[in-house]
Amino acid sequence: MKTLLEVKNLKVRYGNIEALHGISFDVKEGEIVTLIGANGAGKSTTLLSICRLPPPEAPRVVEGDILFNGQSLLNVPPHKIVSDLDMALVPEGRRIFGNLTVEENLKLATYARKDGHEAAVRDYERVYALFPRLAERRKQRSESLSGGEQQMLALGRAIMSKCSFLMLDEPSMGLAPLLMYDMFRTLKELNREGLTILLIEQNANLALRFAHRGYVLDTGEIVAHGTSEQLLADPEVKKAYLGG
Amino acid sequence: MEIFQHILNALQFGSFYALIALGYTLVYGVLRLINFAHGDIFMVGAYIAYFVAVTLLGIGGLHLGMDMHPALALAITVPATMILTALVGVALERTMYRPLRRKGANRLYVVITALMAGLMLENGNLALLGASRKRFPDLLEKVVWDLGGGVSVTNLKVIVIVAAIAVFLLLQFIVTRTKIGMAMRGISYDKFAIPLMGIPLDTIIVFTFILGSSMAGLAGILFAMSYPILEPYMGALIGWKAFIAAVVGGIGDIRGAIVGGFLLGFIEIGVVAVFPSTLRDLFAFSVLLIILWLRPTGIFGVAQTTKI
Ligand SMILES: Nc1ncnc2c1ncn2[C@@H]1O[C@H](COP(=O)(O)OP(=O)(O)OP(=O)(O)O)[C@@H](O)[C@H]1O
Ligand SMILES: [Mg+2]
Repeated sequence: MKTLLEVKNLKVRYGNIEALHGISFDVKEGEIVTLIGANGAGKSTTLLSICRLPPPEAPRVVEGDILFNGQSLLNVPPHKIVSDLDMALVPEGRRIFGNLTVEENLKLATYARKDGHEAAVRDYERVYALFPRLAERRKQRSESLSGGEQQMLALGRAIMSKCSFLMLDEPSMGLAPLLMYDMFRTLKELNREGLTILLIEQNANLALRFAHRGYVLDTGEIVAHGTSEQLLADPEVKKAYLGG
Repeated sequence: MEIFQHILNALQFGSFYALIALGYTLVYGVLRLINFAHGDIFMVGAYIAYFVAVTLLGIGGLHLGMDMHPALALAITVPATMILTALVGVALERTMYRPLRRKGANRLYVVITALMAGLMLENGNLALLGASRKRFPDLLEKVVWDLGGGVSVTNLKVIVIVAAIAVFLLLQFIVTRTKIGMAMRGISYDKFAIPLMGIPLDTIIVFTFILGSSMAGLAGILFAMSYPILEPYMGALIGWKAFIAAVVGGIGDIRGAIVGGFLLGFIEIGVVAVFPSTLRDLFAFSVLLIILWLRPTGIFGVAQTTKI
Protein backbone atom coordinates (compact mmCIF):
# COMPACT_ATOMS: atom_id res chain seq x y z
CA MET A 1 0.00 0.00 0.00
CA LYS A 2 1.13 3.50 -0.84
CA THR A 3 1.95 5.86 2.02
CA LEU A 4 -0.26 8.92 1.70
CA LEU A 5 0.64 10.98 4.73
CA GLU A 6 3.98 10.81 6.43
CA VAL A 7 4.79 12.89 9.48
CA LYS A 8 8.48 12.84 10.31
CA ASN A 9 9.95 13.91 13.62
CA LEU A 10 7.54 16.80 13.91
CA LYS A 11 8.31 19.45 16.51
CA VAL A 12 5.74 22.16 16.93
CA ARG A 13 5.54 25.26 19.09
CA TYR A 14 2.97 27.74 20.28
CA GLY A 15 5.12 30.77 20.97
CA ASN A 16 7.96 29.35 23.03
CA ILE A 17 6.06 26.38 24.33
CA GLU A 18 6.73 23.15 22.54
CA ALA A 19 3.51 21.18 22.10
CA LEU A 20 4.82 18.30 19.96
CA HIS A 21 8.28 16.92 20.72
CA GLY A 22 9.14 15.18 17.49
CA ILE A 23 6.37 12.79 16.56
CA SER A 24 6.37 10.46 13.59
CA PHE A 25 3.50 8.53 12.07
CA ASP A 26 2.08 7.62 8.71
CA VAL A 27 -1.21 6.89 7.02
CA LYS A 28 -1.42 4.60 4.03
CA GLU A 29 -3.90 4.85 1.20
CA GLY A 30 -7.27 3.39 2.08
CA GLU A 31 -6.54 3.13 5.79
CA ILE A 32 -8.33 4.41 8.82
CA VAL A 33 -5.73 5.52 11.33
CA THR A 34 -6.54 6.96 14.71
CA LEU A 35 -4.58 9.19 16.99
CA ILE A 36 -5.75 8.83 20.58
CA GLY A 37 -4.71 10.58 23.76
CA ALA A 38 -5.90 12.53 26.78
CA ASN A 39 -6.81 16.21 26.90
CA GLY A 40 -3.90 18.41 25.95
CA ALA A 41 -1.87 15.56 24.48
CA GLY A 42 -1.42 17.47 21.24
CA LYS A 43 -3.94 15.75 18.99
CA SER A 44 -5.56 18.88 17.61
CA THR A 45 -2.16 20.50 17.34
CA THR A 46 -1.08 17.67 15.05
CA LEU A 47 -3.97 18.27 12.67
CA LEU A 48 -3.57 22.04 12.78
CA SER A 49 0.10 21.61 11.92
CA ILE A 50 -0.85 19.59 8.87
CA CYS A 51 -3.41 22.14 7.69
CA ARG A 52 -1.65 25.24 8.98
CA LEU A 53 -4.58 27.52 9.44
CA PRO A 54 -3.78 31.22 9.41
CA PRO A 55 -2.38 32.84 12.55
CA PRO A 56 -2.95 33.28 15.40
CA GLU A 57 -4.31 29.73 15.66
CA ALA A 58 -1.55 28.13 13.68
CA PRO A 59 1.05 26.28 15.67
CA ARG A 60 4.55 26.74 14.29
CA VAL A 61 6.48 23.78 12.90
CA VAL A 62 10.07 24.16 14.06
CA GLU A 63 11.52 20.83 13.02
CA GLY A 64 10.64 17.78 11.00
CA ASP A 65 8.47 17.45 7.93
CA ILE A 66 4.98 16.56 6.79
CA LEU A 67 4.80 14.72 3.49
CA PHE A 68 1.70 14.05 1.47
CA ASN A 69 2.21 11.79 -1.52
CA GLY A 70 5.90 12.43 -1.03
CA GLN A 71 5.49 16.21 -1.27
CA SER A 72 6.27 18.43 1.72
CA LEU A 73 3.27 20.39 2.95
CA LEU A 74 5.28 22.91 4.88
CA ASN A 75 5.28 25.46 2.09
CA VAL A 76 1.86 24.76 0.66
CA PRO A 77 -0.68 27.51 1.46
CA PRO A 78 -3.53 26.19 3.63
CA HIS A 79 -6.26 26.58 1.02
CA LYS A 80 -4.23 24.63 -1.54
CA ILE A 81 -4.02 21.67 0.79
CA VAL A 82 -7.76 21.43 0.33
CA SER A 83 -8.16 22.62 -3.25
CA ASP A 84 -5.15 20.98 -4.89
CA LEU A 85 -4.34 17.98 -2.72
CA ASP A 86 -7.92 16.94 -1.94
CA MET A 87 -7.39 16.79 1.79
CA ALA A 88 -10.14 17.87 4.18
CA LEU A 89 -10.33 18.66 7.86
CA VAL A 90 -13.39 18.48 10.04
CA PRO A 91 -11.97 20.62 12.81
CA GLU A 92 -12.48 20.57 16.54
CA GLY A 93 -15.70 22.41 17.33
CA ARG A 94 -16.96 21.84 13.76
CA ARG A 95 -16.58 25.48 12.75
CA ILE A 96 -19.49 25.61 10.40
CA PHE A 97 -20.52 29.03 9.12
CA GLY A 98 -23.43 29.67 11.46
CA ASN A 99 -24.59 32.75 9.59
CA LEU A 100 -25.06 30.78 6.38
CA THR A 101 -27.79 28.30 5.64
CA VAL A 102 -27.12 24.57 5.49
CA GLU A 103 -27.24 24.71 1.71
CA GLU A 104 -24.88 27.68 1.54
CA ASN A 105 -22.38 25.93 3.81
CA LEU A 106 -22.33 22.97 1.44
CA LYS A 107 -22.15 25.18 -1.62
CA LEU A 108 -19.28 27.18 -0.22
CA ALA A 109 -17.32 23.99 0.25
CA THR A 110 -17.43 23.43 -3.53
CA TYR A 111 -15.67 26.77 -4.09
CA ALA A 112 -12.39 25.28 -5.27
CA ARG A 113 -13.66 22.13 -6.97
CA LYS A 114 -12.43 21.68 -10.46
CA ASP A 115 -14.31 18.56 -11.48
CA GLY A 116 -17.40 20.24 -12.83
CA HIS A 117 -20.98 20.89 -11.90
CA GLU A 118 -22.29 17.36 -12.31
CA ALA A 119 -19.84 15.83 -9.88
CA ALA A 120 -20.82 18.45 -7.33
CA VAL A 121 -24.51 17.74 -7.86
CA ARG A 122 -23.87 14.03 -7.28
CA ASP A 123 -22.14 14.89 -4.04
CA TYR A 124 -25.01 17.11 -2.88
CA GLU A 125 -27.34 14.19 -3.42
CA ARG A 126 -24.92 11.93 -1.62
CA VAL A 127 -24.72 14.22 1.40
CA TYR A 128 -28.47 14.65 1.60
CA ALA A 129 -28.92 10.89 1.26
CA LEU A 130 -26.41 10.21 4.02
CA PHE A 131 -27.92 12.89 6.25
CA PRO A 132 -31.62 13.33 5.48
CA ARG A 133 -31.88 15.78 8.35
CA LEU A 134 -29.66 18.20 6.49
CA ALA A 135 -31.96 17.96 3.50
CA GLU A 136 -34.94 18.84 5.69
CA ARG A 137 -33.11 21.84 7.07
CA ARG A 138 -31.34 23.03 3.96
CA LYS A 139 -32.79 26.55 4.08
CA GLN A 140 -32.19 26.97 7.78
CA ARG A 141 -29.43 29.10 9.26
CA SER A 142 -26.92 26.53 10.35
CA GLU A 143 -26.29 27.98 13.81
CA SER A 144 -29.80 26.88 14.66
CA LEU A 145 -28.90 23.23 14.05
CA SER A 146 -28.38 20.86 16.95
CA GLY A 147 -24.84 19.79 17.79
CA GLY A 148 -25.27 16.48 16.03
CA GLU A 149 -26.69 18.10 12.94
CA GLN A 150 -23.81 20.54 12.90
CA GLN A 151 -21.41 17.63 13.00
CA MET A 152 -23.21 16.10 10.02
CA LEU A 153 -22.93 19.42 8.22
CA ALA A 154 -19.21 19.61 8.96
CA LEU A 155 -18.74 16.16 7.49
CA GLY A 156 -21.02 17.07 4.59
CA ARG A 157 -18.84 20.06 3.84
CA ALA A 158 -15.77 17.86 3.73
CA ILE A 159 -17.49 15.57 1.24
CA MET A 160 -18.56 18.55 -0.87
CA SER A 161 -14.99 19.79 -1.03
CA LYS A 162 -14.12 16.51 -2.73
CA CYS A 163 -11.59 14.88 -0.50
CA SER A 164 -9.63 11.69 -0.76
CA PHE A 165 -7.96 12.18 2.60
CA LEU A 166 -10.17 13.14 5.53
CA MET A 167 -9.02 14.31 8.93
CA LEU A 168 -11.52 14.41 11.76
CA ASP A 169 -11.01 16.02 15.15
CA GLU A 170 -13.24 14.33 17.72
CA PRO A 171 -16.33 13.89 15.60
CA SER A 172 -18.06 12.04 18.42
CA MET A 173 -17.92 15.07 20.69
CA GLY A 174 -21.35 15.97 21.97
CA LEU A 175 -23.16 13.29 20.00
CA ALA A 176 -25.72 10.98 21.53
CA PRO A 177 -24.55 7.33 21.27
CA LEU A 178 -27.00 6.48 18.53
CA LEU A 179 -25.95 9.38 16.37
CA MET A 180 -22.33 8.62 17.09
CA TYR A 181 -22.66 5.06 15.78
CA ASP A 182 -24.49 6.41 12.75
CA MET A 183 -21.68 8.82 12.07
CA PHE A 184 -19.04 6.11 12.33
CA ARG A 185 -21.04 3.79 10.09
CA THR A 186 -21.16 6.54 7.50
CA LEU A 187 -17.43 7.08 7.79
CA LYS A 188 -16.80 3.36 7.41
CA GLU A 189 -18.87 3.34 4.27
CA LEU A 190 -16.94 6.28 2.85
CA ASN A 191 -13.72 4.45 3.70
CA ARG A 192 -14.85 1.36 1.81
CA GLU A 193 -15.37 3.59 -1.20
CA GLY A 194 -11.74 4.60 -1.01
CA LEU A 195 -11.55 7.49 1.44
CA THR A 196 -8.47 7.49 3.65
CA ILE A 197 -9.19 8.67 7.19
CA LEU A 198 -7.10 10.10 9.99
CA LEU A 199 -9.28 10.17 13.08
CA ILE A 200 -8.61 11.91 16.34
CA GLU A 201 -10.51 10.73 19.34
CA GLN A 202 -10.58 10.90 23.08
CA ASN A 203 -12.95 8.00 23.11
CA ALA A 204 -10.16 5.47 22.55
CA ASN A 205 -12.39 2.44 22.77
CA LEU A 206 -14.64 3.61 20.00
CA ALA A 207 -11.77 4.86 17.87
CA LEU A 208 -9.81 1.62 18.04
CA ARG A 209 -12.85 -0.46 17.18
CA PHE A 210 -13.31 1.66 14.12
CA ALA A 211 -9.74 2.15 12.89
CA HIS A 212 -7.24 -0.24 11.33
CA ARG A 213 -4.26 1.18 13.16
CA GLY A 214 -3.64 3.61 15.95
CA TYR A 215 -1.07 5.81 17.64
CA VAL A 216 -1.19 6.88 21.26
CA LEU A 217 -0.15 10.44 21.92
CA ASP A 218 0.87 11.55 25.41
CA THR A 219 1.98 15.13 26.13
CA GLY A 220 3.43 15.66 22.71
CA GLU A 221 5.01 12.26 22.23
CA ILE A 222 3.90 9.04 20.64
CA VAL A 223 4.09 6.41 23.34
CA ALA A 224 2.55 3.42 21.58
CA HIS A 225 1.38 2.35 18.17
CA GLY A 226 0.18 -0.72 16.39
CA THR A 227 -2.87 -2.29 14.84
CA SER A 228 -6.12 -1.70 16.63
CA GLU A 229 -6.14 -5.28 17.94
CA GLN A 230 -2.65 -4.88 19.35
CA LEU A 231 -3.51 -1.62 21.07
CA LEU A 232 -6.80 -2.92 22.42
CA ALA A 233 -4.90 -5.83 23.95
CA ASP A 234 -1.97 -3.75 25.24
CA PRO A 235 -2.14 -3.70 29.06
CA GLU A 236 -0.63 -0.21 29.34
CA VAL A 237 -3.05 1.22 26.83
CA LYS A 238 -5.89 -0.62 28.48
CA LYS A 239 -5.04 0.84 31.85
CA ALA A 240 -4.52 4.40 30.71
CA TYR A 241 -7.06 4.85 27.94
CA LEU A 242 -9.61 2.09 27.95
CA GLY A 243 -10.69 2.27 31.55
CA GLY A 244 -8.82 -0.75 32.90
CA MET B 1 -44.84 70.78 -4.55
CA GLU B 2 -41.71 72.01 -2.87
CA ILE B 3 -41.66 68.76 -0.99
CA PHE B 4 -40.93 66.79 -4.15
CA GLN B 5 -37.94 68.97 -4.84
CA HIS B 6 -36.71 68.25 -1.35
CA ILE B 7 -37.24 64.54 -1.81
CA LEU B 8 -35.18 64.54 -4.99
CA ASN B 9 -32.38 66.41 -3.27
CA ALA B 10 -32.53 64.03 -0.33
CA LEU B 11 -32.30 61.07 -2.68
CA GLN B 12 -29.27 62.54 -4.39
CA PHE B 13 -27.42 63.22 -1.16
CA GLY B 14 -28.52 59.92 0.23
CA SER B 15 -27.05 58.24 -2.84
CA PHE B 16 -23.60 59.64 -2.13
CA TYR B 17 -23.79 58.58 1.50
CA ALA B 18 -25.08 55.17 0.48
CA LEU B 19 -22.37 54.56 -2.12
CA ILE B 20 -19.66 55.40 0.42
CA ALA B 21 -21.40 53.62 3.28
CA LEU B 22 -21.41 50.44 1.19
CA GLY B 23 -17.62 50.42 1.25
CA TYR B 24 -17.50 50.76 5.03
CA THR B 25 -20.06 48.06 5.47
CA LEU B 26 -18.48 45.58 3.05
CA VAL B 27 -15.07 45.77 4.68
CA TYR B 28 -16.55 45.70 8.14
CA GLY B 29 -18.83 42.82 7.22
CA VAL B 30 -15.87 40.74 6.12
CA LEU B 31 -13.00 41.81 8.35
CA ARG B 32 -14.74 43.42 11.34
CA LEU B 33 -12.51 46.35 10.51
CA ILE B 34 -13.70 49.93 10.24
CA ASN B 35 -11.70 51.24 7.34
CA PHE B 36 -11.48 54.85 8.46
CA ALA B 37 -9.46 55.69 5.37
CA HIS B 38 -12.50 54.99 3.21
CA GLY B 39 -13.73 58.61 3.10
CA ASP B 40 -10.32 59.59 1.79
CA ILE B 41 -10.42 56.84 -0.79
CA PHE B 42 -13.55 58.57 -2.01
CA MET B 43 -11.56 61.83 -2.19
CA VAL B 44 -8.77 60.07 -4.08
CA GLY B 45 -11.43 58.70 -6.43
CA ALA B 46 -12.63 62.21 -7.19
CA TYR B 47 -9.07 63.34 -7.92
CA ILE B 48 -8.38 60.31 -10.08
CA ALA B 49 -11.53 61.13 -12.03
CA TYR B 50 -10.29 64.69 -12.39
CA PHE B 51 -6.91 63.67 -13.77
CA VAL B 52 -8.33 61.08 -16.11
CA ALA B 53 -10.94 63.51 -17.37
CA VAL B 54 -8.64 66.49 -17.98
CA THR B 55 -6.09 64.22 -19.64
CA LEU B 56 -8.69 62.82 -22.00
CA LEU B 57 -10.10 66.25 -22.72
CA GLY B 58 -6.60 67.57 -23.32
CA ILE B 59 -6.92 70.41 -20.81
CA GLY B 60 -4.42 69.28 -18.19
CA GLY B 61 -3.23 66.17 -16.44
CA LEU B 62 -0.73 64.22 -18.51
CA HIS B 63 -0.86 66.51 -21.54
CA LEU B 64 -1.02 63.69 -24.03
CA GLY B 65 -2.47 66.03 -26.60
CA MET B 66 -5.80 64.26 -26.60
CA ASP B 67 -8.93 66.12 -27.48
CA MET B 68 -11.77 63.79 -26.71
CA HIS B 69 -15.46 64.52 -26.89
CA PRO B 70 -16.77 65.01 -23.30
CA ALA B 71 -19.30 62.20 -23.63
CA LEU B 72 -16.62 59.74 -24.72
CA ALA B 73 -14.31 61.05 -22.01
CA LEU B 74 -17.05 60.37 -19.46
CA ALA B 75 -17.55 56.84 -20.76
CA ILE B 76 -13.86 56.14 -20.22
CA THR B 77 -13.44 58.12 -17.02
CA VAL B 78 -16.05 56.15 -15.09
CA PRO B 79 -14.54 52.66 -15.47
CA ALA B 80 -10.96 54.01 -15.34
CA THR B 81 -11.69 55.82 -12.09
CA MET B 82 -13.33 52.78 -10.55
CA ILE B 83 -10.40 50.55 -11.49
CA LEU B 84 -7.72 52.97 -10.33
CA THR B 85 -9.51 53.72 -7.07
CA ALA B 86 -9.89 50.00 -6.48
CA LEU B 87 -6.12 49.71 -6.87
CA VAL B 88 -5.65 52.34 -4.19
CA GLY B 89 -7.90 50.37 -1.85
CA VAL B 90 -6.05 47.15 -2.61
CA ALA B 91 -2.69 48.87 -2.07
CA LEU B 92 -3.91 50.01 1.32
CA GLU B 93 -4.93 46.48 2.25
CA ARG B 94 -1.68 44.99 0.99
CA THR B 95 0.70 47.44 2.61
CA MET B 96 -1.11 48.21 5.86
CA TYR B 97 -3.90 45.88 6.87
CA ARG B 98 -2.51 42.56 5.66
CA PRO B 99 0.78 42.75 7.56
CA LEU B 100 -1.14 43.56 10.72
CA ARG B 101 -3.50 40.67 10.10
CA ARG B 102 -0.55 38.33 9.60
CA LYS B 103 0.77 39.33 12.99
CA GLY B 104 -2.63 38.87 14.58
CA ALA B 105 -2.51 42.51 15.74
CA ASN B 106 -5.08 43.88 18.12
CA ARG B 107 -7.99 45.70 16.49
CA LEU B 108 -7.02 48.96 18.11
CA TYR B 109 -3.80 49.04 16.09
CA VAL B 110 -5.67 48.33 12.90
CA VAL B 111 -8.10 51.18 13.54
CA ILE B 112 -5.27 53.59 14.29
CA THR B 113 -3.54 52.45 11.10
CA ALA B 114 -6.72 53.13 9.15
CA LEU B 115 -7.02 56.63 10.59
CA MET B 116 -3.38 57.30 9.78
CA ALA B 117 -3.76 55.99 6.26
CA GLY B 118 -6.61 58.44 5.76
CA LEU B 119 -4.51 61.34 7.02
CA MET B 120 -1.67 60.25 4.76
CA LEU B 121 -3.94 60.28 1.74
CA GLU B 122 -5.22 63.76 2.61
CA ASN B 123 -1.84 65.25 3.37
CA GLY B 124 -0.10 63.38 0.59
CA ASN B 125 -2.55 64.96 -1.78
CA LEU B 126 -1.91 68.36 -0.22
CA ALA B 127 1.85 67.96 -0.53
CA LEU B 128 1.64 66.68 -4.06
CA LEU B 129 -0.91 69.02 -5.55
CA GLY B 130 -0.86 72.01 -3.24
CA ALA B 131 -3.75 73.67 -1.50
CA SER B 132 -5.35 75.11 -4.61
CA ARG B 133 -8.68 73.62 -5.47
CA LYS B 134 -9.30 71.82 -8.70
CA ARG B 135 -12.25 72.53 -10.90
CA PHE B 136 -13.76 69.38 -12.33
CA PRO B 137 -14.48 69.75 -16.06
CA ASP B 138 -17.98 69.45 -17.48
CA LEU B 139 -18.38 65.98 -18.94
CA LEU B 140 -22.12 65.80 -19.12
CA GLU B 141 -24.31 68.20 -20.96
CA LYS B 142 -26.79 69.34 -18.40
CA VAL B 143 -30.41 68.52 -19.13
CA VAL B 144 -33.16 69.78 -16.88
CA TRP B 145 -36.48 67.99 -16.90
CA ASP B 146 -39.40 70.00 -15.71
CA LEU B 147 -41.74 67.73 -13.80
CA GLY B 148 -44.40 70.39 -13.44
CA GLY B 149 -45.45 72.36 -10.39
CA GLY B 150 -42.05 74.00 -10.10
CA VAL B 151 -40.29 70.68 -9.62
CA SER B 152 -37.35 69.94 -11.84
CA VAL B 153 -34.65 67.32 -11.99
CA THR B 154 -31.34 67.24 -13.81
CA ASN B 155 -30.11 64.25 -15.74
CA LEU B 156 -27.11 64.09 -13.39
CA LYS B 157 -29.32 63.79 -10.34
CA VAL B 158 -31.19 60.92 -11.93
CA ILE B 159 -27.91 59.22 -12.84
CA VAL B 160 -26.65 59.52 -9.26
CA ILE B 161 -29.78 58.01 -7.78
CA VAL B 162 -29.99 55.23 -10.34
CA ALA B 163 -26.30 54.44 -9.86
CA ALA B 164 -26.71 54.07 -6.10
CA ILE B 165 -29.67 51.75 -6.48
CA ALA B 166 -28.01 49.71 -9.23
CA VAL B 167 -24.85 49.31 -7.16
CA PHE B 168 -26.92 48.22 -4.18
CA LEU B 169 -28.74 45.59 -6.23
CA LEU B 170 -25.50 44.33 -7.74
CA LEU B 171 -23.79 44.01 -4.36
CA GLN B 172 -26.82 42.42 -2.81
CA PHE B 173 -26.76 39.85 -5.60
CA ILE B 174 -23.05 39.17 -5.21
CA VAL B 175 -23.22 38.80 -1.46
CA THR B 176 -26.32 36.64 -1.26
CA ARG B 177 -26.15 34.56 -4.44
CA THR B 178 -22.56 33.94 -5.45
CA LYS B 179 -19.96 31.69 -3.88
CA ILE B 180 -17.54 34.54 -3.45
CA GLY B 181 -20.28 36.45 -1.64
CA MET B 182 -20.91 33.45 0.60
CA ALA B 183 -17.22 33.34 1.33
CA MET B 184 -17.34 37.03 2.28
CA ARG B 185 -20.12 36.32 4.73
CA GLY B 186 -18.39 33.19 5.95
CA ILE B 187 -15.21 35.09 6.79
CA SER B 188 -17.08 37.42 9.09
CA TYR B 189 -18.31 34.41 11.03
CA ASP B 190 -15.18 32.31 11.12
CA LYS B 191 -12.23 33.34 9.02
CA PHE B 192 -10.14 30.36 10.06
CA ALA B 193 -12.54 27.91 8.52
CA ILE B 194 -12.34 29.63 5.12
CA PRO B 195 -9.08 27.99 3.98
CA LEU B 196 -10.54 24.66 5.07
CA MET B 197 -13.02 25.09 2.24
CA GLY B 198 -10.14 25.49 -0.20
CA ILE B 199 -10.74 29.22 -0.37
CA PRO B 200 -7.79 31.63 -0.37
CA LEU B 201 -8.59 34.07 2.40
CA ASP B 202 -6.55 36.93 0.98
CA THR B 203 -8.25 36.71 -2.40
CA ILE B 204 -11.65 37.20 -0.82
CA ILE B 205 -10.38 40.11 1.25
CA VAL B 206 -8.81 41.76 -1.79
CA PHE B 207 -12.06 41.26 -3.69
CA THR B 208 -13.91 43.00 -0.87
CA PHE B 209 -11.58 45.97 -1.02
CA ILE B 210 -11.97 46.08 -4.80
CA LEU B 211 -15.74 46.24 -4.47
CA GLY B 212 -15.75 48.85 -1.72
CA SER B 213 -13.09 51.09 -3.25
CA SER B 214 -14.47 51.00 -6.76
CA MET B 215 -17.84 52.11 -5.36
CA ALA B 216 -16.06 54.95 -3.56
CA GLY B 217 -14.44 55.82 -6.89
CA LEU B 218 -17.84 55.87 -8.55
CA ALA B 219 -19.15 58.09 -5.76
CA GLY B 220 -16.08 60.30 -6.24
CA ILE B 221 -16.69 60.92 -9.92
CA LEU B 222 -20.43 61.46 -9.48
CA PHE B 223 -19.79 63.84 -6.61
CA ALA B 224 -17.18 65.75 -8.61
CA MET B 225 -19.65 66.08 -11.47
CA SER B 226 -22.33 67.35 -9.10
CA TYR B 227 -20.13 69.66 -7.02
CA PRO B 228 -17.17 70.33 -9.28
CA ILE B 229 -14.75 71.86 -6.76
CA LEU B 230 -12.21 69.36 -5.41
CA GLU B 231 -10.06 69.82 -2.32
CA PRO B 232 -8.01 67.34 -0.30
CA TYR B 233 -10.31 67.32 2.73
CA MET B 234 -13.51 66.78 0.79
CA GLY B 235 -13.64 63.14 1.89
CA ALA B 236 -13.34 63.71 5.61
CA LEU B 237 -16.78 64.98 6.58
CA ILE B 238 -18.74 63.04 3.97
CA GLY B 239 -16.75 59.94 4.95
CA TRP B 240 -17.69 60.30 8.59
CA LYS B 241 -21.29 60.89 7.69
CA ALA B 242 -21.36 57.83 5.46
CA PHE B 243 -19.75 55.79 8.21
CA ILE B 244 -22.41 56.91 10.65
CA ALA B 245 -25.07 56.13 8.06
CA ALA B 246 -23.64 52.62 7.78
CA VAL B 247 -23.69 52.20 11.56
CA VAL B 248 -27.26 53.45 11.83
CA GLY B 249 -28.34 51.09 9.06
CA GLY B 250 -26.55 48.24 10.79
CA ILE B 251 -22.91 48.04 9.79
CA GLY B 252 -22.01 44.86 7.95
CA ASP B 253 -25.39 44.73 6.23
CA ILE B 254 -25.67 46.02 2.68
CA ARG B 255 -29.32 46.93 3.05
CA GLY B 256 -28.34 48.89 6.14
CA ALA B 257 -25.84 50.97 4.19
CA ILE B 258 -28.39 51.96 1.57
CA VAL B 259 -31.17 52.63 4.08
CA GLY B 260 -28.82 54.48 6.43
CA GLY B 261 -27.46 56.56 3.56
CA PHE B 262 -30.86 57.60 2.29
CA LEU B 263 -32.12 58.15 5.82
CA LEU B 264 -29.28 60.56 6.49
CA GLY B 265 -30.01 62.32 3.20
CA PHE B 266 -33.65 62.74 4.13
CA ILE B 267 -32.95 63.92 7.66
CA GLU B 268 -30.45 66.50 6.45
CA ILE B 269 -32.69 67.90 3.75
CA GLY B 270 -35.63 67.75 6.13
CA VAL B 271 -33.78 69.77 8.75
CA VAL B 272 -32.66 72.36 6.24
CA ALA B 273 -36.19 72.71 4.91
CA VAL B 274 -37.43 73.78 8.34
CA PHE B 275 -34.48 75.21 10.26
CA PRO B 276 -31.48 77.36 9.38
CA SER B 277 -28.92 75.27 7.53
CA THR B 278 -26.28 75.80 10.24
CA LEU B 279 -28.31 73.45 12.40
CA ARG B 280 -28.22 70.68 9.80
CA ASP B 281 -25.44 68.50 11.16
CA LEU B 282 -26.43 69.00 14.79
CA PHE B 283 -30.00 67.92 14.13
CA ALA B 284 -29.11 65.16 11.74
CA PHE B 285 -26.66 63.54 14.12
CA SER B 286 -29.03 63.95 17.04
CA VAL B 287 -31.69 62.01 15.18
CA LEU B 288 -29.17 59.30 14.28
CA LEU B 289 -28.01 59.11 17.89
CA ILE B 290 -31.59 58.61 19.00
CA ILE B 291 -32.00 55.79 16.50
CA LEU B 292 -28.84 54.14 17.78
CA TRP B 293 -29.98 54.65 21.33
CA LEU B 294 -33.22 52.84 20.53
CA ARG B 295 -31.50 50.20 18.41
CA PRO B 296 -27.81 49.94 19.24
CA THR B 297 -27.13 47.43 16.48
CA GLY B 298 -28.62 49.69 13.80
CA ILE B 299 -31.70 49.15 11.72
CA PHE B 300 -30.69 45.88 10.06
CA GLY B 301 -27.99 44.84 12.48
CA VAL B 302 -28.22 41.78 14.65
CA ALA B 303 -26.32 41.53 17.88
CA GLN B 304 -23.01 39.82 17.29
CA THR B 305 -23.33 36.23 18.35
CA THR B 306 -20.60 35.29 20.73
CA LYS B 307 -18.64 32.28 19.68
CA ILE B 308 -16.91 29.83 21.91
N1 LIG C 1 -3.31 28.39 20.63
C1 LIG C 1 -2.53 27.84 21.59
N2 LIG C 1 -1.60 28.58 22.21
C2 LIG C 1 -0.81 28.05 23.14
N3 LIG C 1 -0.86 26.77 23.53
C3 LIG C 1 -1.77 25.98 22.95
C4 LIG C 1 -2.65 26.48 21.95
N4 LIG C 1 -3.44 25.47 21.57
C5 LIG C 1 -3.06 24.39 22.30
N5 LIG C 1 -2.05 24.70 23.12
C6 LIG C 1 -1.39 23.77 24.03
O1 LIG C 1 -0.84 22.71 23.30
C7 LIG C 1 -1.05 21.48 23.97
C8 LIG C 1 -1.77 20.50 23.05
O2 LIG C 1 -3.08 21.00 22.79
P1 LIG C 1 -4.09 20.29 21.81
O3 LIG C 1 -5.23 21.23 21.61
O4 LIG C 1 -3.37 19.84 20.62
O5 LIG C 1 -4.57 19.06 22.68
P2 LIG C 1 -5.62 17.90 22.31
O6 LIG C 1 -4.89 16.64 22.38
O7 LIG C 1 -6.33 18.22 21.07
O8 LIG C 1 -6.62 18.02 23.55
P3 LIG C 1 -8.22 17.88 23.59
O9 LIG C 1 -8.50 16.43 23.69
O10 LIG C 1 -8.58 18.59 24.86
O11 LIG C 1 -8.77 18.51 22.39
C9 LIG C 1 -1.81 21.80 25.23
O12 LIG C 1 -0.90 21.82 26.31
C10 LIG C 1 -2.37 23.17 25.00
O13 LIG C 1 -2.44 23.88 26.20
MG1 LIG D 1 -8.20 18.74 20.60
